[in-house]
Amino acid sequence: MLCFVALAVFLFLSIFSAKYRPLAKRALECAARKVTLRPCDTGLDEEIKAASISGIMKISPRAAEFTNKHFEAFSLAFSILFFLSLIFMVQGFYYFVIYGNCNGPEGGFCIYSGLQNEALLVAPTSLAGISAGNASANITLIEFGCYTCPYTKAAESGVREIISKYGDKVHYVYKAFPLPSHPYSHEAALAALCANQEGKYWEYRALLFENQAYVKENGAAALYSLARNLNLTGFEACYTGNSFEPEIKAATDECTASRIYGTPTFFVNGKPYVGQNAMNRTMAEVERLVG
Amino acid sequence: MDSKKIRQDFPVLLSSNAIYFDSACTSLKPRAVIEAEARYYNELSACAGRSAHTLAKKTGECFEAAREKVAKFVGAKPEEVAFTKNTTEALNLVVRSLNYASRRKIVTTPLEHHSLLLPIMEQERRGIAKMEMLGVSADGSIEESALQAIDKSTALVAVHHTTNTTGMHAPLEKIMKAAHDAGALVLVDGAQGVPHSRVDFRKLGADFLAFSGHKMCGPTGIGCLVGRKEAFEKLDTFIVGGETVETVSLQGVKWKEAPKRFEAGIQNYSGALGLSAACDYLGKIGMQNVEEHEKRMAEKLISTIQSVPGATIYGNADAKKRCALVSFNLKGVSAHQVALMCDNLSKIALRSGVFCAEPAANQLGFGKGAARASIYIYNTEEEIKVFGEALQKIAKLG
Repeated sequence: MLCFVALAVFLFLSIFSAKYRPLAKRALECAARKVTLRPCDTGLDEEIKAASISGIMKISPRAAEFTNKHFEAFSLAFSILFFLSLIFMVQGFYYFVIYGNCNGPEGGFCIYSGLQNEALLVAPTSLAGISAGNASANITLIEFGCYTCPYTKAAESGVREIISKYGDKVHYVYKAFPLPSHPYSHEAALAALCANQEGKYWEYRALLFENQAYVKENGAAALYSLARNLNLTGFEACYTGNSFEPEIKAATDECTASRIYGTPTFFVNGKPYVGQNAMNRTMAEVERLVG
Repeated sequence: MDSKKIRQDFPVLLSSNAIYFDSACTSLKPRAVIEAEARYYNELSACAGRSAHTLAKKTGECFEAAREKVAKFVGAKPEEVAFTKNTTEALNLVVRSLNYASRRKIVTTPLEHHSLLLPIMEQERRGIAKMEMLGVSADGSIEESALQAIDKSTALVAVHHTTNTTGMHAPLEKIMKAAHDAGALVLVDGAQGVPHSRVDFRKLGADFLAFSGHKMCGPTGIGCLVGRKEAFEKLDTFIVGGETVETVSLQGVKWKEAPKRFEAGIQNYSGALGLSAACDYLGKIGMQNVEEHEKRMAEKLISTIQSVPGATIYGNADAKKRCALVSFNLKGVSAHQVALMCDNLSKIALRSGVFCAEPAANQLGFGKGAARASIYIYNTEEEIKVFGEALQKIAKLG
């Protein structure tokens, strides 16, 4: 069974080094024979077995005897695990490309995040978006956030603290980046802009984060319910009319141009902060600039 | 003979630290041989017997000196030694060049290497000769009663000196008598014999003796066909070309006498010089000492393998009847696994398979392969001990 694993491994290594190509060829021949229910005649399976058992024997002869006795079963189990891992890896990469997170719409820890680099982010040039604080301040804090993202929600108290403590010295701009990986993110962004139209943006934003799980589960019904709490009379017309679709698209285009790969992403005077401790680092930078 | 001291002459052993038990496949090369071969390229690098310049003459002298040295090593005259590529070519030369018009039979044994068996089978397939096998007993010995197969219709008896599957020796004296009584020629495959024992072509009484340089500390690509003058005369041309002829016109060719008639084209001069150095090297050690060392090692090797549970040794286990070459299997572990694991565990180089002698392997009962340990002058008893310890561990897997 191990020739299938060997085939996958050696094929991959063959991309980088020609010395693995004969091994890949032997593995392919071996795998072809196994598929057609014939014994492998390239000797590769025996070489793998000998190398494995010898390695184990150097550590524990008893373990080597046991492994040798059940080698086919171990090979089968290892092969299944290998190919399952391979499937999950490919699926994860697919999710990463589509959703920006290898866990798909659910989010969470993603090993591919290492491929992303804060230093590659490009600071936005436009200050369009929801604004707060002192528009003529020397310190500009731009946030790319998503209303249904748990990490944006977690950073919200920090954002509020900056606005309340340093509102006179900081110009805060929020740009909605409705991540496809988060349910109803687009709808929530639209709803927030509709609330803004009626001068209730910050109240509605607070409700969105407070009721994030409810929104993610119920979508439009939840958004309407939150709007009713604030007596937003023109909400339904605004929401159903998709009045702010151009603004949402413009913000999304800005995100793409800035190479945003996760929310929230902060820019303090153009310096990016995203990922681990993003809020704390943003706060520290703001405090440093405020003096 | 001090094997530990001899080991110092072999650069591969010093650099690899391997336990080399695959000398039946090819032996390691001592520094003297490597230097002799390099000498040709460093100091000569010309062709012999053609040009008249100093380097060409010197090359010719060295080449003929090498022939003399090799001839002396096997107790033959220089004009009885033809250089070939290896044993395989030498065996093919005899089997394919002999005239089978009046006597059609080639008698051989199922224990032979493919290098001897296949040319004979080819002659039979082409309807040129008829192959007949001598019987072999269960312990791998040639049945002497079967020698009656050698009769007046026999052109050639082709047989090993020592098999590469069991290390056992053929009863050459009796074969020689039966063949010569019947007026047949005898071709001895000395590939495993010449490197490991005193072989004197005169005393042997054979008509032809073939062997390779690379199994006796010499370089690869050089071998010899030793033949009596009258026997050589019975052979037709084999590979022809430059240096095989006296004169050529479009009406006919006057061929050179043997051995030159069989040395077509530019020869392997560096190989001949290397082989000559190998003969010197073994000569200094003394082939009697080599033989005694191998008998001691064969006993030790056989008893070591026999002490491993589940071990089967092929052929007669009497060390007196073989050289230090043992083919064996361990119960429940494939031969390839044994060889690979010996390498992985203790850097022991073994051979596994059917050793280019598939009919012999089937005859002896290891048609699916065996592991083979073959010992030479540079191997020590300590190495056999390490080998035994590795086998004990591997045997537990079975």
